[in-house]
Amino acid sequence: MSRFFATGSDSESEESSSADEITPKATGTTFSKQALLLSDDEEDTKRVVRSAKDKRFEELTNIIKTIRNAMKIRDMSKCLEEFEQLYRAFLKSKTIVDKEGVPQFYIRLLADLEDYLNQLWEDKEGKKKMNKNNAKALSTLRQKIRKYNKDFETEIVSYKENPEQSAEEEEKDDIGSASSSKSDDDEDVTAKSLMKKKPQEEEKKAPEASKFLKGAADEESESEEDEESEDWGSDSVDSGGESEDNEGAAASLAVVFLKKAQDGDKQPERKKDDRRKRHKKMEQVDEEADEEGEGEEGGWEKVKGGVPLVKEKPKMFAKGTEINNAVVIKKLNEILQARGKKGTDRSAQIELFHALAGISNENNLGEGILVKIKFNIIASLYDYNTNLAAFMKAEMWKKCLECIDELLDILFENSNIFIGENIAEDSENLAISDQPFRVRGCILTLVERMDEEFTKIMQNTDPHSQEYVDNLKDEGRVCGIIDRLLQYLESKGSTEEVCRVYLRRIMHTYYKFDYKAHRRSLGLQGETKSEQDQEESEGEDSAIIMDRLCKFIYAKDRTDRIRTCAILCHIYHHALHSRWYQARDLMLMSHLQDNIQHADPPVQILYNRTMVQLGICAFRQGMIKDAHNALLDIQSSGRAKELLGQGLLMRNMQERNAEQEKIEKRRQVPFHMHINLELLECVYLVSAMLLEIPYMAAHEFDARRRMISKQFHHQLRVGERQPLLGPPESMREHVVAASKAMKMGDWRTCHSFIINEKMNSKVWDLFPETQRVREMLVRKIQEESLRTYLFTYSSVYDSISMATLSEMFELELPTVHSIISKMIINEELMASLDQPTQTVVMHRTEPTSLQNMTLQLAEKLGGLVENNERVFDLKQGVYGGYFNRDQKGGYQQKQNYQRAPDQRGGYQQKQGYQRDQKGGYQQRQNYQRGGYRNQNQSSY
Amino acid sequence: GDRLNGFENGKTQLLCLCVRLQVVLKIIKHYQEEGQGSEVVQGVLLGLVVEDRLEITNCFPFPQHTEDDVDFDEVQYQMEMMRSLRHVNIDHLHVGWYQSTYYGSFVSRALLDSQFSYQHAIEESVVLIYDPIKTAQGSLCLKAYRLTPKLMEICKEKDFSPEALKKACIGYEHMLEEVPIVIKNSHLINVLLLDLQEKSTVADKHELLNLSSSNHLEKSLQLLMDRVDGMSQEIVKYNTYCRNLTKQQQQKQQYLQRRQQENTQRQSRGEPPLPEEDINKMFKPPQAPPRMDTLLIAGQVNNYCQNIKAFTSQNLGKLFMAEALQGHSS
Repeated sequence: MSRFFATGSDSESEESSSADEITPKATGTTFSKQALLLSDDEEDTKRVVRSAKDKRFEELTNIIKTIRNAMKIRDMSKCLEEFEQLYRAFLKSKTIVDKEGVPQFYIRLLADLEDYLNQLWEDKEGKKKMNKNNAKALSTLRQKIRKYNKDFETEIVSYKENPEQSAEEEEKDDIGSASSSKSDDDEDVTAKSLMKKKPQEEEKKAPEASKFLKGAADEESESEEDEESEDWGSDSVDSGGESEDNEGAAASLAVVFLKKAQDGDKQPERKKDDRRKRHKKMEQVDEEADEEGEGEEGGWEKVKGGVPLVKEKPKMFAKGTEINNAVVIKKLNEILQARGKKGTDRSAQIELFHALAGISNENNLGEGILVKIKFNIIASLYDYNTNLAAFMKAEMWKKCLECIDELLDILFENSNIFIGENIAEDSENLAISDQPFRVRGCILTLVERMDEEFTKIMQNTDPHSQEYVDNLKDEGRVCGIIDRLLQYLESKGSTEEVCRVYLRRIMHTYYKFDYKAHRRSLGLQGETKSEQDQEESEGEDSAIIMDRLCKFIYAKDRTDRIRTCAILCHIYHHALHSRWYQARDLMLMSHLQDNIQHADPPVQILYNRTMVQLGICAFRQGMIKDAHNALLDIQSSGRAKELLGQGLLMRNMQERNAEQEKIEKRRQVPFHMHINLELLECVYLVSAMLLEIPYMAAHEFDARRRMISKQFHHQLRVGERQPLLGPPESMREHVVAASKAMKMGDWRTCHSFIINEKMNSKVWDLFPETQRVREMLVRKIQEESLRTYLFTYSSVYDSISMATLSEMFELELPTVHSIISKMIINEELMASLDQPTQTVVMHRTEPTSLQNMTLQLAEKLGGLVENNERVFDLKQGVYGGYFNRDQKGGYQQKQNYQRAPDQRGGYQQKQGYQRDQKGGYQQRQNYQRGGYRNQNQSSY
Repeated sequence: GDRLNGFENGKTQLLCLCVRLQVVLKIIKHYQEEGQGSEVVQGVLLGLVVEDRLEITNCFPFPQHTEDDVDFDEVQYQMEMMRSLRHVNIDHLHVGWYQSTYYGSFVSRALLDSQFSYQHAIEESVVLIYDPIKTAQGSLCLKAYRLTPKLMEICKEKDFSPEALKKACIGYEHMLEEVPIVIKNSHLINVLLLDLQEKSTVADKHELLNLSSSNHLEKSLQLLMDRVDGMSQEIVKYNTYCRNLTKQQQQKQQYLQRRQQENTQRQSRGEPPLPEEDINKMFKPPQAPPRMDTLLIAGQVNNYCQNIKAFTSQNLGKLFMAEALQGHSS
């Protein structure tokens, strides 16, 4: 190799050497990464350099190959595309080209391509045959290549002058470098041809040479010099040859093949070998890099896990350390420091605390320190879930309960332990056992948090699964803990704390129906019950508990929120146990309706629940109107589910983003506290029916009839829209069907629709005093049906016997009498009672439907005229005209007339009508006059 | 050929409408079979023009079809029908259409539109309005209407703005013109009818004094009220429009004044006046509500009133008669 270069001119060798020098630097810059990685491995560096060049050139040759293929099939657009790619690839490998010179195969392609394009361009007929895309590509490509080739003009010229030679020369370069003797021969041959264009040739040659120089250099170590370098040569030959192959009829073909033939049989194998080797090398490198990466990662991980030092030493203390309070506290603080840090293994921390508790127990370090550790265990249990929405795992939960129980045990056993949030860290006394212990920490907060966790667990459990039931069983323990805490705090805590724990207790009591007390009040107690039952029923009535706790809060609480919640719970509890008047009075006294909208959402939800319960209670007591009013707000919105915190309504994302949804989910009431929505709706609808149907019957012809319940009307309309009326299925359909029956005064059908097996199982059986409620309902239905009947059909009768009515509606005579009397007094029914015959005599003062209609029409016409007048006024340009008149009265007056008799009703109504007409008449005159005046004004 | 007999250049007025009994019976039958309640049945009238009268000699109904079958092509059906009728040598010239009505409600946009297109295409077209309810009460009620030339003009312009209607000087009275109807039969049928009259028993002639009023009157009142409501709404709409317009004009005026003042000030200071901006762009006039609906409603209201008036006057007469009879007998 060196010999070969030594024979060359001085400049050549200089260049080659300089190139040699430059190479590592250049690679260093372009492949700095790899260089850095492998900087210790000399051999590899060189390999990389070589492969970089190879890679570039391989890329180029690949593209060239495709271009030649495209040329063969005359796919100009493909050609253009590839050419652009080639151009880009060439630019990319500019650094290499700069030092290596423009590769010969590149020039060759450029020249060939230009020739080929020109040839195509000349071939007019062929061009015509081309499709549009191809033709377009051809012209662009031609232009491009013409422009591009200007940069390589000299090279191309030289190539064109002697395509064989230069091709051969390339081969020669390649192969010649492999075996020096051969190249020597070749040089003799080519020398002449090279004479003219020596400088460029040299330039070309030099990099090529240097390349091999280097290649040889590193191959030396492998002691395979010859073979390897030949491989290199053959590689480039191959690429050249292949492209030649594709071209098919190149002049240099013969030469190439000749040369190749010598080692043709060897080549493929070697090539493969070489490739494999290189491959391996690459893989190795990759592996190395990977390893390093992994190593780094591993290191990083270690750092991450390294924060809690304790991990490495599961033994808390070094052997032989005397375990005393100070050491344990130090350790505790050590563990605590890791708390809340990123990457702290939270479960490990809990374990550590447990271990520490065990150690301190073993060594009898006193309760003070134990309490402290327990506090921390519970706190870290709560910390376990960083996400607010996530709930505790079952085992954690169990652990938590146990821990709190133990803590309470300790606290009860040792009355000399003071705990509190306000005890400063440094004034803690954990050790000295002759003084009372002072520990910082708030048991109440922990218990409250526990309660919240319990709620969260219930929220996140499928309410229809066994799991829910299992989880719910824990409520006993939760209540037990709260009760114990309550006892503890009653003796030790401040009033504030007592209020807080009371509220917790209330929250676990208010929604539960006290069956024991219920039974006791019914006088069923003890007779058939087993002893256990009896024992259970010994306990205090929940009503008494509620009363005691709530009253304490009313008296002592200073935060508004706790009192509000307590009141609401109290009302709820009253309502649940059908103490309607207490509940109502409490609600009215609290004035909560006025400012509940300022409360936070959970309180509002509680308020809604309370109102609903109140309404249902009123219904059970037969206060239909109260029930309706209480439920109206919740039901009319159509969002009862949401308002009661019993589920989210489907809404589009615009109204509620994910964040809000999470918050709302957290507010949901656990399933076991739910109020049955169907029951709620049924109660509401039935109340509405009992109110609305008689009202509708009474005001059938009233134009300004208002609706009592929009929702009920909506249901009626839905029912009417049904194309085919089958027997009712759902609760709503039942109510609608019942309403229809009631409209006709048919109370029996109405009754059968409201109270039947289906409705019983769906709704009525949910009440504790089912039978009583049903009896009340039947009675209400009878009464209201009677009223409806009288309203609807009174115009048909001259007189009705009350006995008949009582028979029809299965009501006692006095009841019928009182209902009718009430109607007469309220002037709903124009009739009088004839005492001796016990009949109702109708007065027939009601206008007939035709008269009613005419009245309505008259009113409408009045409105029309009024509107018309306004237009007229505008036209006349007297802007304020009609306002004045409005003030003067006109129609308003008339409306007054009409309304007044409505209220007074009865006899005077007729006069009212007359007056009405008169009023209307006067009005018209007014109008005429007004118009006239207006005209006058405008004409002035 | 005969189509243009009396209607060259549309100068001659249609004075009379001769309707064959067959047509009347067919229409009645059509309603009886397919119409019920407020539903409306429609059909095509066939006939030809003779001098100044239009003779309607035959008709066929539009088939009822739901909106679901889109495939149904009404025009195609009509063409088929007319071709078939021509084959059996029946007058096949399209001269209008008929429609049933519910308590006299027919003046609507739909009627206006279709009658307009009829009259636009075939000048002599009429629409026959058949009132089945009145007919059921014993007096055949069949009326023929055409749009007045004035209304035709307006419809052609398609401009229903208040100004246009005002300019056209059209009121609800001038929208439709009634064409007198003569029911004409062949002599044979007349003979048959007379024969039948002789034979028929005089059994149910006691119904003469039946008032049968309240239901009919109630329904009419209800419909009338509905329309009055509609009219009120229209008027309110128009009123708002008027007010908006005035307000805007005032604003415009103010703006112009201010601009003028500013310009005079600028002029006195020697500055160039502010450029005139497109004032219409700044003050877009409010969209005028179309007034055609109001007119139609007025027409309909008028119609109802006429009906009610006719009905009540008849009934009043009956009442007086009944009273007189009672007084006489007692």
